[in-house]
Amino acid sequence: MTTHPPEPAVMDTAPVSIDSEIRIHFEVQRLYAYEARLLDQHRYADWLELFTEDLHYWAPVRTNRLRRQQSLADGAPGEVGIFDETKASLAWRIRRFDSGMAWAEDPPSRTRHLITNVLVAPGDEPGEHIAESAFLCYRNRLEREVDLYAGCRTDVLRRDPDGMLLIARRTILLDQNVLLAKNISTFL
Amino acid sequence: MTSTPALPEAPRLARVPEPAVDVGAYLDLDRGLVDRRILSDQALYRQELRRVFAPSWLFLAHESQFRKPGDFFTTYMGEDPVIVAMGRDRKLRAFLNACRHRGMRVCRADTGATKAFTCSYHGWSYDLAGELVNVPNGEDYPAHFDRREWGLTQVAQLDTYKGLVFATWNPEAPPLVEALGGMAWYMDAMLDRDPEGTEALDGVHKWVLEGNWKLAAEQFASDWYHVNISHASALMVMSPSGKGPKAEIVQTPGRQYTDPLGHGAGFPTHPKSRFDDRVVHGYYDYGALRERLGDARVEGPMTTGHATVFPNFSYLPVFGSIRVWHPKGPDRIEVHAWTIVDRSMPDEVKDAQRLYNLRTFGPSGIFEQDDGENWSECQSTARGFMAGSMALNYQMGMGLQAEDGVHPGTTGRLYSDGAARGFYARWRDLMNTPAWHEKDTP
Repeated sequence: MTTHPPEPAVMDTAPVSIDSEIRIHFEVQRLYAYEARLLDQHRYADWLELFTEDLHYWAPVRTNRLRRQQSLADGAPGEVGIFDETKASLAWRIRRFDSGMAWAEDPPSRTRHLITNVLVAPGDEPGEHIAESAFLCYRNRLEREVDLYAGCRTDVLRRDPDGMLLIARRTILLDQNVLLAKNISTFL
Repeated sequence: MTSTPALPEAPRLARVPEPAVDVGAYLDLDRGLVDRRILSDQALYRQELRRVFAPSWLFLAHESQFRKPGDFFTTYMGEDPVIVAMGRDRKLRAFLNACRHRGMRVCRADTGATKAFTCSYHGWSYDLAGELVNVPNGEDYPAHFDRREWGLTQVAQLDTYKGLVFATWNPEAPPLVEALGGMAWYMDAMLDRDPEGTEALDGVHKWVLEGNWKLAAEQFASDWYHVNISHASALMVMSPSGKGPKAEIVQTPGRQYTDPLGHGAGFPTHPKSRFDDRVVHGYYDYGALRERLGDARVEGPMTTGHATVFPNFSYLPVFGSIRVWHPKGPDRIEVHAWTIVDRSMPDEVKDAQRLYNLRTFGPSGIFEQDDGENWSECQSTARGFMAGSMALNYQMGMGLQAEDGVHPGTTGRLYSDGAARGFYARWRDLMNTPAWHEKDTP
């Protein structure tokens, strides 16, 4: 069973000490730029190495709800979602792309993952960070097909023994109700 | 649980007849030929909404989505927006989601709970039975204005089949169970495995496809053929060797059911040709299932089957996927897909089914991704004059359909266009038959 996404409310306050934040902010920005580059180059196996072994990668469904029932608007853990993945299940999806017969990506799409609005805060556990970012993924496929996937990612980041920042949890809130694309054949 | 309209007859205008095209020339099913203009023509599409969607029983929702009075769910019947709601009497009703005053949707949430549906334009308000209960500035309407006549437009019939809620605008439609006909035996391989029935997990996948709704409906009725090629990558990663299925699985025996009412279902019968989730597979007591459903169903439609209930409801038994292909113009579909599970399954088995379905089917699923690619390609070439008016080949399995003595009704080989021919025959018959709403022409 899945777990709740990190609560990003800690980011609602203005930064107090710029110096203390510069280093981690730069590090996270750089991680996200590198990650986007790997995705746009379809280097999915390399991309997967940016995640911890206990990864939970999750994109719930967004539902239109009356304002008084807004708390139910984002899918809860255990509900039908767009992604609800472990590192092993992502590897499974990636093996499909490498089969040479994944026609939805053959010829491959052109994608550009733009990652912005990055905010970083201390996580719940010592050494963990919570990072929120906005994404805009543009996909151009074959001749004229264009899809835009926009939304917010909330990550829990943790260091490996070598000190490298890895992504341990990712919650993706895609800013669409009806997904306005025929599929999602990339990662966000 | 048929609900009958409780409201007085609403005032109507005389019907303005719309021209209808004889679609017979677009199909020659005896020769297995289909003209592609039925995928792209706007006039034919309008005729489909009037003569295929409006008169047919259409899938709305799963019963488990409604637990207490006031629970509602919004969806579509053809292109008509509808609300399905549980009333104070716990009865399900379905209404056009359109205010009788100016036609605005009176409910713009996907799902939730409410006591009333109030239009945010002028404030006309309807209760859970669809009755108009409040009209602001009502004193300014004439004396003959009778609120009871202006309730939300209710479906003519609503009924459920083993958890699935269907409705039709057609007062003359046969009862749901007759409209499902012989297909019900095949549906039970998904809906009746558990004495407690099924339930839908929370959350509905919704996405859009470039393609005519019939491309998807027809494929789920009739097309095992595409699996080995279209889904080669998925078969490869799912095969135990990681190299793809063995030849005997690729050439799997199986049967395909063709229903005279346009429904269709196909399924392998090779015991190893199955793709169910390991945890779910381990949960089932196949001995008990054989007793409950019979050997033929356990070895047939309960395997990795596919099916369409005419016109636009499809399902995949082992993936737990049920979906409706909402038409959005001749070249666009909006898919709404649910995951259903057996009620008696322990939570961890339900969760395994949920994860398996979202990783295989649904917009990111390793099977579904490639389906979307196929349909958008088939649709885009239909725009050309030459490519768009050529006859397509629906000849596979011709002359091989018969009663097989094991599965009820007419079946053919697994690799067949038989159910597609049946689907289009039903489509043609409805397209060429005036619907109930056309009969009161002055």
